[in-house]
Amino acid sequence: METVLAINNLGKNFGRIQAVNNISLQVKAGQVFGMLGPNGSGKTTTLGMLMGVVNPTAGSFSWFGQPPTDHMRRRIGAVLEHPIFYPYLSGRKNLELNAMIKQCPVANIDNVLALVELTERQHDAYKTYSLGMKQRLAIASALLNDPDVLILDEPTNGLDPMGIAGIRELIIRIAAGGKTIILASHLLDEVQRVCTHFAILKKGTLIHHGPVHDVGKGTETVEVKANAPDLSHVLLAFPGTSSVNRENGSFQVQLREQYKAADLNRFLFEKDIVASHLVTRQKSLEQQFLEILAES
Amino acid sequence: MLHLLRIDLKKMSSYRTFWVVCGLYFLTLGFGAASGMEFLKWLASFIDGFGQEININRIPLYHFPDVWLNLIWCAGLLKVILAVMVVISITNEYTYRTLRQNIIDGLSRGEFLLSKILTNVLLSLMSATMIFVIGLVTGMIYSPSLEWGRMVTDLEFLPAYFLEVFFFLSYALMLGILIQRSGLTIILLLLSQLIEFIITSNVDDYLPGLIPFFPMESIRNLITFPFPRYAFSEIRDYISPGAVAIVLAWTLVFNYISYRKLKRSDI
Repeated sequence: METVLAINNLGKNFGRIQAVNNISLQVKAGQVFGMLGPNGSGKTTTLGMLMGVVNPTAGSFSWFGQPPTDHMRRRIGAVLEHPIFYPYLSGRKNLELNAMIKQCPVANIDNVLALVELTERQHDAYKTYSLGMKQRLAIASALLNDPDVLILDEPTNGLDPMGIAGIRELIIRIAAGGKTIILASHLLDEVQRVCTHFAILKKGTLIHHGPVHDVGKGTETVEVKANAPDLSHVLLAFPGTSSVNRENGSFQVQLREQYKAADLNRFLFEKDIVASHLVTRQKSLEQQFLEILAES
Repeated sequence: MLHLLRIDLKKMSSYRTFWVVCGLYFLTLGFGAASGMEFLKWLASFIDGFGQEININRIPLYHFPDVWLNLIWCAGLLKVILAVMVVISITNEYTYRTLRQNIIDGLSRGEFLLSKILTNVLLSLMSATMIFVIGLVTGMIYSPSLEWGRMVTDLEFLPAYFLEVFFFLSYALMLGILIQRSGLTIILLLLSQLIEFIITSNVDDYLPGLIPFFPMESIRNLITFPFPRYAFSEIRDYISPGAVAIVLAWTLVFNYISYRKLKRSDI
């Protein structure tokens, strides 16, 4: 698979503050790449360096296998942090200006406006738009040049549930078209739903990266309910149990490796206990994220 | 090049402040330049107060070739309005953060600066053209004779005026890029003549040879104050190449500082 973005030992100091420290990673064509990390972990600074607005103090990166140039950025649609437009220009005029900068046909404007459902308001000044409309105009602007790569930094910030669902759908649709997407977000649920790969930053350092489908692997957690007085003792007696927690009237059993929920079920049955409720809990990206952050 | 200019003009297309300020500037320039006879009447009544009389019809304010330098010197006083507009245009890019988005969208920092400089060139050209037209019209109305030779005499002050305006707009652009806040930049812009005057009057005591090299002073040396010629003294009615060189050098320095600052900063 073609490497779209390669980052080598990239770093940025703001005076004594090390905002980004020695990051190396690769994004391949067609991936939906999630960038995670707490506030101030260096996500936006990293994206800023990739988009030429922040000068790196160390390391290098390449887009499409070549050293970065200014005009190369026209092949990348990016919205960093929040939508940025000229407030006194209408949505349409802002897009016309972007089309001039990106040197792409003006005819694309109608398409992207329709895609983000802003056709009706296109002639109103940008400053009269609601936050959701501003976000959608930003996505329209990023898509204007039919870019190979899309960079979205918190694209659902401040949107209502319908807006969030709309943007998620849009991202999935764009990804299905074969575009590479880099998505920075706090909404781990979102990332788990749409991303194929993810990376976690903490204090400017890359502490984890890998495919999203690996997240569910590893040890299982089983939620058990049964009508038995000494259930907790029985559960502890099971050789595959590593820990038991009581939560909301049910037991959360953390299994050791190689043990599955079926083994636990069989064990209970042998002890004459019939479980009324037995659910395997997949580890969510959120849990994994918090674990990785805690470990580092 | 033209593409970059069109980008910067597009940004202004619905910006009311820009059109109001530019409209006011060109209106003031036009009406101001055309009302020199009124000025003369005021001057006459002023001199009257000293017990002297002048016949204002004998002062060839609008006669070729005097009209050129007279108009150009007066028009130079208004360039600060245009400069304020340039400051607003560049500092807006910082406050709205649109500079950042322009770069993200694929403009290089050099191209961004060039688009602003080209607008400065356009505004300077428009000012010079305006003065040329007003000078031609008023000169034709008031001059007793329309000899070709007299009409084109002193016309070299027109490119000098273009240079003066472009120099000052470059200065305003640089201040805007360095300071990034419109209020502070405008105050500094308005004070720069005064600040330089304070510095030069101190330098005058020790190194008077340095004075012509100061930026605002170099403009005064480029386009001489013309009105003393109607009262008592000779003025220099040609352009000194040294003054041109100093103004040009400052203009280059201002734009280069803008470039360096833009190139190096995180935006």
